[in-house]
Amino acid sequence: MKGYLSPAVEVRKLARLIGVDAEDLACFERLEGQAIRDLRDQVTVVLFDADRQLLARVATATKLIPAKLAAVIGERAFGPLLCARITGLLDPSRAVDIANHLPVTFLADLSLHLDPRRASRVIGAMPPARVAGIAAELAASEEYITMGGFVGHLSKAALLAALDAVDDESLLRTAYVIEAKQNIAALVALLPDARLDDIIATASSADLWIEALDVLDHVTERQRGTLGDLAAAQDDEVLDSMVRAALSHGLWSEVLPVVRAMSPESRKRFATLKSIQARRVLATIIDAAAEDSLWAELLVLLPLLPTTARRQVAALATSFDLDLFEQIVSTAHEEELWPALIAFAAELDKGPRREIAKLIDESDADVLGSLLSAVHEAGLQADLVTVLRELPAAGQRRLGTRIAAAPTELVEALTEAADAAVLEPLSKALKA
Amino acid sequence: MSQAARRILKPELGGIVPGGLEALTDEELTAFAAMLRVAKRRQSEQLGAAVDEALEIVPRLLRGTIRKILFG
Repeated sequence: MKGYLSPAVEVRKLARLIGVDAEDLACFERLEGQAIRDLRDQVTVVLFDADRQLLARVATATKLIPAKLAAVIGERAFGPLLCARITGLLDPSRAVDIANHLPVTFLADLSLHLDPRRASRVIGAMPPARVAGIAAELAASEEYITMGGFVGHLSKAALLAALDAVDDESLLRTAYVIEAKQNIAALVALLPDARLDDIIATASSADLWIEALDVLDHVTERQRGTLGDLAAAQDDEVLDSMVRAALSHGLWSEVLPVVRAMSPESRKRFATLKSIQARRVLATIIDAAAEDSLWAELLVLLPLLPTTARRQVAALATSFDLDLFEQIVSTAHEEELWPALIAFAAELDKGPRREIAKLIDESDADVLGSLLSAVHEAGLQADLVTVLRELPAAGQRRLGTRIAAAPTELVEALTEAADAAVLEPLSKALKA
Repeated sequence: MSQAARRILKPELGGIVPGGLEALTDEELTAFAAMLRVAKRRQSEQLGAAVDEALEIVPRLLRGTIRKILFG
């Protein structure tokens, strides 16, 4: 979902800008979201430029009359759309003075037509209480796109006030359509854990996991971990609903990074959820990992799965080709996840085990060195030997000779494991 | 997008046609250009009417000065 701009959402924004129904522009939904957005930006410029001179003169004339009268004229004569066009041309403090004399409902209507980028300074100067009132109005009329557009322009105090004024469901729906996704992390940082807890519960009860997982896709790794832990601390039903959503909407590529960012305890709770043990669920997890190269996320989860589930994953892995195994081995090396891979590899069928053994045999000194150290540290020599058993005798001898150059205690422990498994070619090469 | 459709759309978009519109037919682009033309005309008409109405609301004493600012 990274960088995702929904064509439907963009079409609604474009339709509002030119004053037509979204249905009139339904054909635009065939375009990429970014293309519609680029077009909307250009239309904004054109509409503004069309009457730029007169709009600027109106803004100048406004200075001559009291703010209260300007508000009356704005409401009675100009209406929300034209006021929105003029807003960005006013001095921010003057605009705020006038806004203070306008009803919140009018300001909410005006917000629908405002281009936040052209009125950023005015938006930033708006008093928190007014912003909270406008946010509540917009939330009540489900104007999430408009609300999302203001996030990067409001002052921190105004943002806090707005967050207090809207319910959790509106907040999730707004975050989903926010234009400047880079602001989501800052927004989440303003919310206390208790509120985040409520929002996660709402994602479950209101079936808003698509929205919630999109938020999780745009926060910092640390926030992702915190939110993941908060989710893992909720009832099984909450996590089960996330699994159901991931399954039906194909959201594992969003869920797996969250699971990886969780604390080990939370991850364990997730891994032992009954709802993820089903073969169908595990198959979709594997597919997502393969499609988006989420091997690190999968390797972190594997050791925590119950034995039966792990065996099911092992059975699914029999269909992997060499290219996928290469990716997995390379991830295990880069992300220092050798223990998870070796322990898992030992449970695989002979075919895939042989592929991994071959890749280890062909690995360079750096990769082999890190593998051996990790295996030694985790005490997984027996598992490594189980994998290497699949190499032909010549391969075992070749690899054994290379390993023999490693630190003594490491070689001795592996030799012991090779002896215990009666793996003669490897054992002899290690001793030589 | 045919050259004909581009010729119709380009002036309505201030001389710049952003990329990524290839999936639309000439008919759809022409219809969009017409919507845009209507939107611009409607905005200008609304602005003109609003200015007239505003001058009615402004105190008589200020009306001359404001008229001068608005219309030169």
